[in-house]
Amino acid sequence: MAAPVIDAPPPVGPVATRPGVRWIPAVRGFYRIMRSNPLSFVGFLLVVAILVLSALVVVDPHAVVPYGASQQTGAYTAPPTLFRWPPGGAHPFGTDGGSLDIYSEVLLALPLDVGIGVLIAGLALILGGALGLVAGFWDRPGTLGGVGSAVILRTTDVFLAFPSLVLGLAIVAALGPGLWQVILAVTITWWPYYVRLVRGEVLAIKHLPYVVAARAAGVGEGRILLRHVLRNVLEPIVVYFTLDIGTILVTFSTIAYVIPQGVPYPPVGAARPEWGSMMSYYYGNALFSQEWWAIVFPALAIFVTALSFSLLGDGLRDVLDPRTRRALAETSTSAAGGTPVGASTASVHPTEGG
Amino acid sequence: MTEPVLSVEHLSVDYLVAAGRFRAVTDVSLSIPPGRVVGIVGETGCGKSTLAQAIPRLIPEPPAKIESGRIVFQGTDLVPVPAHRLPLVRGTGIGMIFQEPLNSLNPAYRVYDQIAEAIQIRHWREQGILPVFRPGPTPFDYSRRPMPGTAEVLSKPIVPGGATAEAAQRRLRTRADYRREVLEYLRLVRINDPETILHLYPHELSGGMRQRIMIAMALSEKPSLLIADEPTSALDVTIQAQVLTLMKELIDEVHASILFISHDLGVIAEMADDLGVMYAGRLVEFGPVEAVFHAPRHPYTKALLRSIPSRYKDDGPLPSIPGSVPSLANPPPGCRFHPRCPIARPVCAQEPAPPLREVGSTPTADAPAHTSACHFAAEVEQLP
Repeated sequence: MAAPVIDAPPPVGPVATRPGVRWIPAVRGFYRIMRSNPLSFVGFLLVVAILVLSALVVVDPHAVVPYGASQQTGAYTAPPTLFRWPPGGAHPFGTDGGSLDIYSEVLLALPLDVGIGVLIAGLALILGGALGLVAGFWDRPGTLGGVGSAVILRTTDVFLAFPSLVLGLAIVAALGPGLWQVILAVTITWWPYYVRLVRGEVLAIKHLPYVVAARAAGVGEGRILLRHVLRNVLEPIVVYFTLDIGTILVTFSTIAYVIPQGVPYPPVGAARPEWGSMMSYYYGNALFSQEWWAIVFPALAIFVTALSFSLLGDGLRDVLDPRTRRALAETSTSAAGGTPVGASTASVHPTEGG
Repeated sequence: MTEPVLSVEHLSVDYLVAAGRFRAVTDVSLSIPPGRVVGIVGETGCGKSTLAQAIPRLIPEPPAKIESGRIVFQGTDLVPVPAHRLPLVRGTGIGMIFQEPLNSLNPAYRVYDQIAEAIQIRHWREQGILPVFRPGPTPFDYSRRPMPGTAEVLSKPIVPGGATAEAAQRRLRTRADYRREVLEYLRLVRINDPETILHLYPHELSGGMRQRIMIAMALSEKPSLLIADEPTSALDVTIQAQVLTLMKELIDEVHASILFISHDLGVIAEMADDLGVMYAGRLVEFGPVEAVFHAPRHPYTKALLRSIPSRYKDDGPLPSIPGSVPSLANPPPGCRFHPRCPIARPVCAQEPAPPLREVGSTPTADAPAHTSACHFAAEVEQLP
């Protein structure tokens, strides 16, 4: 084995003469990070595909949905066939005994289900996040903020004491069936998680030196909360939000499965089908008709959608943190023969962590 | 002597925690005349950081509590000021540089954003967009007027590019204006290639660079008083020297009033005009820095100076002060230094230490009196 030549000068790349800062375009940086984490890149592609497909289904159903809603009324067109078909050929997911094409039904349900997931997660994030910020930031006992914080936290305790699914079902049962009732029920069961999450992050951040330094610089408390604290809790929360969309989708579909009257199937009028109620309906029928495909494919749709958002969430964490963002972007650049950012300034020592 | 920028009068700060009451700062009085650098030196846990943070009321209350005393900043007592008005004093009134440069910059924002925020705060206050602190009997001015009164202190050559009254009146609205001013401050703190640094995140900078950015942030608000709480303690020695040189140059350029806290006697000797020595929450000696160094009049100061390692003395082991720092939860009766004091007598344990009394030099127009809180200040000179 030849001894390594120690004295050999390290291979010198082209010395970058940079007039100013090289702005790494956000898109390229994002792509690089995503590429460094293939699974989340798959998640990202899937989410993009899902969103594009949902938009297409909403804008022009006929472009993507082979059978089903008519462009004008949204009502169902004549059944394509009078017999039920197993998956294959003209009906990739098969048809049901009522001659509905399962593939079309699953596609038509896509925007509704994704929209519901994003809507509920968004509502819970805004409501729970705002309460969590306030409860975490102004929590000194004996002050108005301390009382408010205690009230918020005890309320979340009450909600968190119930299993969310059971509580959701109970609320739907109380409110009566209907799409908005189910959305409201899931939102009501969901916001306390965000309160807890955001509060925990705020508690960890609000005593950090940079928050104290901002206070010492004369920044007001409200601005400290919204600019210095919020920006730093955002990262775990957006990640959680993305992961949560999948969970909410499953919960919503479960409620729709247990109480199919909430989102009736087959849909009436301009209504859209929903995966959970679809499964519920076919589960009742399939016991006799053996239409396994009518249950498996909506279930698969829920699975794939939830999985896509979860995979994306993992990658988002890296995108949102300036440390990993720049580090990953740099790794790819230096591998390509460039110099890391700041290398032209002798006094800059990029450090890890911080 | 001119009206001091800050005068702390008989300030006592306690920490009320489950384990009891920690008397972190007891009966401390000092004043900072305009343009003078006052150093505070003391061991770890002697209350110097508590004092530094109590002055702009940054210390979390509770657990801390200002038991008594006044913090008179430009003629206004800050102790009774309600918490929601305190931000108006901070930044443009009392600026601060912290000990931990590594964590004192927000990791989510670029250098530009952080300095621009400080400049914006100052600018909004100058423009009357935000309420400002006003020295005088009515502490705060909510009317939409440019900052009055403080202009005299503020318009000293603190700003690179000249903070004249016209410059203060100039509206900085565009991003280019902010950028130009941020660059000015980055150059002020001797940062090479500020155009690049502008767009970096704190984690991409070294500790010394971060501390320079912190100094730039503090100075960009043109504070009337700057409190530097161990600004170089977290840096390694070479960087420490760079930052100290920078600060020394800036002190001359900026003509700032500074309260400089450090545990390092060498650093203090280099930076300060006046020196206060703290022990176990009390100020035991105060005076012009040369007087305190050359003719210490408190046994603690004497012992502290003896224990500075020197490469020129090699007469046996490094001298140290026998005993240990007393617990602030239960300080010894009488003079707090008496259990470790070589010249302690029964009276030291029985009677409280005397207030700071004049010893040696008398106050002049620009230097305070040399004072000591020892019953036997005259005997300190005979100590080895």
